Amino acid sequence: MDKLISDLKTQIIAQLNLQDTKPEDIGDDQPLFVEGLGLDSIDALELIVLLQQNYKIKLSNAEDGPKVFKTVKTMAEYITAYQAQNS
Amino acid sequence: MYIRATGNISPQKTFGHQPLQEAVAYTGNRLSCIEPDYKAFIDPKQIRRMSRIIRMGVAAAMECLQEAELKQPDAIVTGTAYGCLEDTHSFISKMVEFNEELLTPTAFIQSTHNTIGAQIGLLLQCNNYNNAFVHRGFSFESALLDGMMLLKDNDAANVLVGAIDEITNTSHTILSRLGLYKQGDTSNLNLYSSIPTGIGTKGTIAGEGASFFLLTNQPSGSDYAKLDGLHTFYKPDGIPEIEKQITGFLESQDISINDIDLIITGKNGDAGGDLAYDQLAQSIFADKESIHYKWLCGEYPTASAFALWLAATIIKSGELPPALRGSGSLDKKIGRILIYNHYLGIHHAVSLLSAC
Repeated sequence: MDKLISDLKTQIIAQLNLQDTKPEDIGDDQPLFVEGLGLDSIDALELIVLLQQNYKIKLSNAEDGPKVFKTVKTMAEYITAYQAQNS
Repeated sequence: MYIRATGNISPQKTFGHQPLQEAVAYTGNRLSCIEPDYKAFIDPKQIRRMSRIIRMGVAAAMECLQEAELKQPDAIVTGTAYGCLEDTHSFISKMVEFNEELLTPTAFIQSTHNTIGAQIGLLLQCNNYNNAFVHRGFSFESALLDGMMLLKDNDAANVLVGAIDEITNTSHTILSRLGLYKQGDTSNLNLYSSIPTGIGTKGTIAGEGASFFLLTNQPSGSDYAKLDGLHTFYKPDGIPEIEKQITGFLESQDISINDIDLIITGKNGDAGGDLAYDQLAQSIFADKESIHYKWLCGEYPTASAFALWLAATIIKSGELPPALRGSGSLDKKIGRILIYNHYLGIHHAVSLLSAC
């Protein structure tokens, strides 16, 4: 899980072009949207693409979005659960 | 109408209202813009979504508005032929890479030709008239004409008009294949010389730039220049028609070529395209002082915006900038400039500026 969280942080920075942000600047439980990292709705779309591109996961239910993309940790948990279910 | 302020990012050191002291030399057939530190002009949070052309356009526009000490223009009008190529390339590449199943949202959203005008409007929270023109070699002229008409009809008291085009690795490769650029060793400093490149060889050098102007319908007392007129003509039928169009334009302004102090031409080193400029230099432009500008900024569809910036700065100072002094021997104050430019022999434009 730690490795996945670390990879996700690097991928988020690259995908969203978060200049001047380092992986260690993003807390595992830090909210990604609004008060946390300050991401917005366009970033949410980019995160959906990130999941599909890097983990072959298609987020079919839009209502899952706020839960999945709450923090880096929730993203990692979702990916791990998905991979376990589909392995 | 009047040019109150300018902002220009180009392959020369033009940002920050610097006079062209010394031309920046480039080897090869591609001139890239010298970019400023954008953080001084754009919120870092917003920069991350902007590709290079958007940053250049927004920064040039902000510099122009800062010089004019204006927070919100009555209108924002932009012209671009290629639009945001880097973003376009980015999302199309991803679509191909992922079998048309994935679309990168930011690149897709930012790829449209009106992105820069929209970003300027968003940054300024300006909901006024905002329009973008995409007409190949007439893109800037169309934007300028729209701005001039808004002022003339009193629909606006001031208009931010600009032109932006970028060259990317992909577009440079494609346009090179189409034979637009010189092959082999070349430099912007010897673009017009005969050996080993220049006159007699095919192609020009690639360029890019972002130039913005604040036009107003009332003088401020500290304007760069007066923009007296603009005229475009499409695919003229030979040199006689070009001469007729230019003299007709001057007549419509109630002046003759004798009233012009300096001519700025769009000569770009391409043997075929330069024929028109060379023949005019022997006919209607004979014995007139003239300078060329594309050795400074390269060739691109909205390069005439760089010429307008150059003309405006020359008129404001009344003399040629140091980088251009070798190409003219003017001993009097420059009060009236005619710009003649054509893009690929298809889109021709003349504009006239005079001292306020």
